[in-house]
Amino acid sequence: MLITKTRDENKLTVEVSGRIDSMTAPEFEEFLKENLDGVTELTINMASLDYISSAGLRVLLLAQKKMNTQGTMEVLNVNETVGEILDVTGFSDILTIR
Amino acid sequence: MPEKNVRDMTKFERLHNSLATRTFRATLMGAIVLGVLALIIGLAWYAYLYCRQTVHQAFGISKNVQAIMNEVVDPAAMGNDVMTIYRSLTDEERAEEKTNPEKYYARYSEITGSEAHAIVLAILDDFRDSGTANDVYFAMYDKETKSIVYIADSDNSARTGVRTGSFESASEKEINKFLNWDEKKILYNIENTQRFGWICTSGVSVKNPDGSIAGFILSDLTLKDIASGMKGFAIFFSISMFIVVILLAVLMARHMEKKLVKPINEIAGAAEAYVKDKKAGVKYSEHFSGLKINTGDELENLALTMADMEGELADHEEDLARIAAEKERIGTELSLATKIQADMLPNIFPAFPDKSEFDIYASMKPAKEVGGDFYDFFLIDADHLGLVIADVSGKGVPAALFMMVSKILVQNIAMSGKSPAQVLRSINTQICSNNREEMFVTVWFGSLDLRDGTLRAANAGHEYPILKKPDGDFELVKDKHGFVVGGMPDAVYTEYELKLEPGAKLFLYTDGVTEATDEIAELFGTDRLLSELNKVKDESTEDIIKSMNDCIALYSGDTPQFDDVTMMCLHYSGKGATGLKQITVDAKVENIAAVTDFINSELEMIGCPFKAKMQIDVAIDELFGNIAHYAYGEESGTATVRFKYEKEADTAEITFIDSGVPYDPLAKEDPDVTLGVKERAVGGLGIFLVKKTMDSMEYERKNDKNVLKIRKKLR
Repeated sequence: MLITKTRDENKLTVEVSGRIDSMTAPEFEEFLKENLDGVTELTINMASLDYISSAGLRVLLLAQKKMNTQGTMEVLNVNETVGEILDVTGFSDILTIR
Repeated sequence: MPEKNVRDMTKFERLHNSLATRTFRATLMGAIVLGVLALIIGLAWYAYLYCRQTVHQAFGISKNVQAIMNEVVDPAAMGNDVMTIYRSLTDEERAEEKTNPEKYYARYSEITGSEAHAIVLAILDDFRDSGTANDVYFAMYDKETKSIVYIADSDNSARTGVRTGSFESASEKEINKFLNWDEKKILYNIENTQRFGWICTSGVSVKNPDGSIAGFILSDLTLKDIASGMKGFAIFFSISMFIVVILLAVLMARHMEKKLVKPINEIAGAAEAYVKDKKAGVKYSEHFSGLKINTGDELENLALTMADMEGELADHEEDLARIAAEKERIGTELSLATKIQADMLPNIFPAFPDKSEFDIYASMKPAKEVGGDFYDFFLIDADHLGLVIADVSGKGVPAALFMMVSKILVQNIAMSGKSPAQVLRSINTQICSNNREEMFVTVWFGSLDLRDGTLRAANAGHEYPILKKPDGDFELVKDKHGFVVGGMPDAVYTEYELKLEPGAKLFLYTDGVTEATDEIAELFGTDRLLSELNKVKDESTEDIIKSMNDCIALYSGDTPQFDDVTMMCLHYSGKGATGLKQITVDAKVENIAAVTDFINSELEMIGCPFKAKMQIDVAIDELFGNIAHYAYGEESGTATVRFKYEKEADTAEITFIDSGVPYDPLAKEDPDVTLGVKERAVGGLGIFLVKKTMDSMEYERKNDKNVLKIRKKLR
């Protein structure tokens, strides 16, 4: 998993590539914890994300809950595999996917 | 007995307990006892002799006095006169001797005034003054008044001055002794008087003409010198005894020291040096033979015996060393033979990693260093797998030699492509041609066509093979047995055919398995073998063989293994199948990557589409992650992940096995995925996700293990 971020005042764009699984999810969670302060617009770009496991979904859920209190969150460029996972778990309804 | 070990004693204690010191003490004690005894006897003898001499002296004086008196006067008449007056007196008158002596003695004045009396007194005085007697006197005993009555006493005012007619009481014993004297022995009396101390009295009787006793001439001799004589004797005796005793004890001790203690110490010293040498590893020593003990007694004999023993032991040790070296050499050779034999059998698994049609595993555990059992498998050509299991009669080195020959023969002949029955026949012919030791071998040989699972086999007296159909149990195949190989030339073998469906398993074994015994000598048996096999029927070939080996070891317990235990298990997957692959790792989160890599490489080999691969990867992350997190709690343990691909169904099957706490993920209710972000619980989605993306998911708790199987159709 590789995370790159772009910060523009209170806008944060995060690009995650590779996999978010049991091993990498804690790192992703830590990253978001450190970077979400003062962010009102969070964008997660999943263009090069291969897959996400439940550990990753948990981080997305935590991020969404946090952003609900301080701004908005969007998920971009979801591939088929990740999309299906988000669909079956009902995450498509929770997250804003574009 | 001293409680302390002699070696823990101080020098002084040792000296105190030494044989020489003890001898010294014992001699001293003995001599002192003897000395005291001798002193007592000596003193008694001295006293006796002294008294005897005194008695004789007193007797001699009395006798002389009597003889002289008889010459010059009539002493008997004088005695009678005194006694007549004395006896005529009343008790009161006699008492006047004390109260009114003048009146009392006046009664005797006639006698005391006579000339005869004066002569008698003169004679008595004369003898007393000239001799050694203390007193010489003339007296008579009166039985009635139990008294001695003095007739005449040597008159010496300085001493006694006993007057005529005076009397004093005498013991009845003394009176009887004197009055009844038979004149054969010397008459004497020894008495301790208050006035003079020990006194010896001896005398002779003065007789009337009619023979009756008129009185006694008595002489008193003091015995006071006897005490100083005895004292002198005792001092002299004691001093000489003391010197003699000390001298004797010292001499005895020195003798003991020389004849007993020194030789014993020499032997002990030799023994000590001998032990020291042995500890230092010195083989030959002459500690005992170098001893010079010439006492001519048991000690010399002991020293000689020890010297003999020393020599014998050295020889014996040399023998032992030689035997040990020989044993070690044989041991080394045997362990080398064990390795050679083990290496002769195919023992690298997986044996054919590039062959996906089957998976095989086997093991051979010899009862001794080398065994007579063997298994073998080899590719006869690209499509045929040769399978051999055999058991040579007997055990150990002879069986092993025969086994090596048999193994090579079987493979060589099998490689020629002959049918199994022909192969056995050829081996039989070859072995029979040169078998003077009458060894034989039971052989089961089969040739498996890997393309369609056709197994052609023949059995030369070996155990029944065991077959498991894909969805069935392990069951015996009661094939037709031919005669053992090497038993009879021209033996004929029947060939038969079995069809192995993809998923079938074949189990081959030797009688070491069924004839393994427990502590009460009960056989493991075919029924137990089948039931144990069926407990692990779905495991991999390796796990089946390993668990069967464990099972037999557990069954036998401490009973020594009697026969070689050999097993072989084949799993036929069919043409185009990947067969069963597996990985076993520690159940840790870090190992998710290793498991994922293992499955991915298998999936890539069969050209799995990207999406299915990703879904399977997510499933591994969820399921193995769960095991890593929860199966063993704080403890550590392993998890096995199996991969299987069924080509016809284009389905991958992945099984997760762990020995952790029982956990059925399917028992958990699915989370409500329609809830909004606020109501959503964090977690609980993993299993749901797997359920949704995989085609099937089954959980089973088996043999204390969690077995979770997922299947995914790839295209």
